[in-house]
Amino acid sequence: MTSTTSRDSAQKPRLLESRRVLTLILLAAFVGSLLNLDWTTGFIHSGGIDAMGEFAKALFTLDLSADTLTSAISASWTTVAYAVAGLTLALLIGIPLGAIGSGVLTRSPWLRVTSGGGTRFSLAFFRSIHELVWAWLFVAAIGLSPMAAVLALAIPYGGILGRIYAELLQDVPDAPLRSLRSTGASEWRVFWYGRLPMALPDMLSYTFYRLECGIRSAAIMSFVGLGGLGHEIRISLDDLAYQQVWTYLLFLIGLVVIVDVWSTMVRRRLSE
Amino acid sequence: MTTFDRTQHTQAPTMRWPRITFIRLSLLAMLALIIASWIFVLNADGAQNHSFLSAETFNRFKDFFADLLGVGSSGTPAYAQWSEWRSTGHLAYDTLVMSVMAIGFAAIFALVFFMFGARNMMMGELAPYGSWFWRGVFFFVRGIFVVTRAIPELIWAMLIIFVLSPGLLPGAVALGLHNAGILGKLSSEIVEGLDQRPIQALRSTGAGRFQVMVYGVLPQALPRFVTYLFYRWEVIIRTAIVVGFVSAGGLGTEFRLSMSYFHFTTITLLLVWYLILVLGVDITASYLRRLAR
Repeated sequence: MTSTTSRDSAQKPRLLESRRVLTLILLAAFVGSLLNLDWTTGFIHSGGIDAMGEFAKALFTLDLSADTLTSAISASWTTVAYAVAGLTLALLIGIPLGAIGSGVLTRSPWLRVTSGGGTRFSLAFFRSIHELVWAWLFVAAIGLSPMAAVLALAIPYGGILGRIYAELLQDVPDAPLRSLRSTGASEWRVFWYGRLPMALPDMLSYTFYRLECGIRSAAIMSFVGLGGLGHEIRISLDDLAYQQVWTYLLFLIGLVVIVDVWSTMVRRRLSE
Repeated sequence: MTTFDRTQHTQAPTMRWPRITFIRLSLLAMLALIIASWIFVLNADGAQNHSFLSAETFNRFKDFFADLLGVGSSGTPAYAQWSEWRSTGHLAYDTLVMSVMAIGFAAIFALVFFMFGARNMMMGELAPYGSWFWRGVFFFVRGIFVVTRAIPELIWAMLIIFVLSPGLLPGAVALGLHNAGILGKLSSEIVEGLDQRPIQALRSTGAGRFQVMVYGVLPQALPRFVTYLFYRWEVIIRTAIVVGFVSAGGLGTEFRLSMSYFHFTTITLLLVWYLILVLGVDITASYLRRLAR
């Protein structure tokens, strides 16, 4: 024990230096960003504190009327349906593109670079644009159709799933694959009988994690005019009906927590 | 990890049905959800004037794409004018500033609370003594993480805009709150997964709860915390434009205005800046992450 401690402290100065530089960069960036604010005028606008007080008070007088509850339940279902439908499409994008992008399907280096690189580039493009921006573009193009929400969710989520699947497929332990190859299996067979079964639990686990994010993303699809919990929250906010806002917010939190608990349970069992 | 039911193979001769496991039930439930969702979405879609898979949809996409490129419209497209590049460049800078501010807020919040959200610190093996007070603190902090995390950035922004005057700050606070919950949860889990031996050694010298936190946990947890920080920054820069839809400031506000005024070529320009930002942050973050290791 003592020998490791002394060795650590001997190495410390060099390590600390690079980390100190990093800390300095980060602090400077944060302070610099704060300097961009206009400090001369107040940050809280007149009536802001009152609004906050009213909002906090409304939590204790929740709107639990039958009307609000029915619309909250139906909005929750819309949100779940968008999320699940979007995630299914994302799987259809992510699995094949991830498999191609990982470059494990072929032994030819040339094919590996071109198809793998091209796929990874398009996956990066898919996920670099936020789902709500995609949604707005789709709504502008085809109008208010639920398919716009589903597609908008599917594209960036497909991009993320594809990237993670590709990494998981690459990280599979090599020994079982070598023994498959030694029996004369093609790369395609190795993928099908070796890589995929080994990577599947982790792929499934990540997909379940994404479901939780999907619920949250689906909830904000309403911003461009598609239904769901976010839509109800927005309308109630416009009416200054804080009691209703709280009801919908609690539904959203409940929904996310339920999916979170479910996906954590699935993932814990998958990693056992 | 790869135990895809070895038990089933050994017991196969006596068992007719696959064992009912939680995973199988979850997959079945998921399948049912998928079918129900698609029925719902397709029905709702059928209620529109035209269905999604049709020539009309294709034509609309084509027209919209032409609009974005400025084909067939009079005047120079915005992306071909230097002055437009400069003015939207300022907005892109604002968005970048907003994202840095947001990750800073989230980091401060998470750094203050994450130790109190770690089960082993508050009531597990690393706690010097059990007490209902620290147990209560643990559940309270975890509750804060859950609530801040469950509400998406955009909805935080809609709420915050009632209190804070428009500008970069409300957007940054909204982004910061949501990510504080995520960072808090992730970093609490770091603490729960730490190597406990050095910390227990420290405790055996008589260190108190806060001494253990500062000298035992923090040095071990900080490098991974910083890694998560950069990973979240990559997500934040993508969302900063969305938060800008409601809080004034940055690319998002201009995007919204251009959409409502049908300035399609400006949208193209904004999207180009957006992609530059995302790419730049991805590269910078991966470089800084290597520095943190």
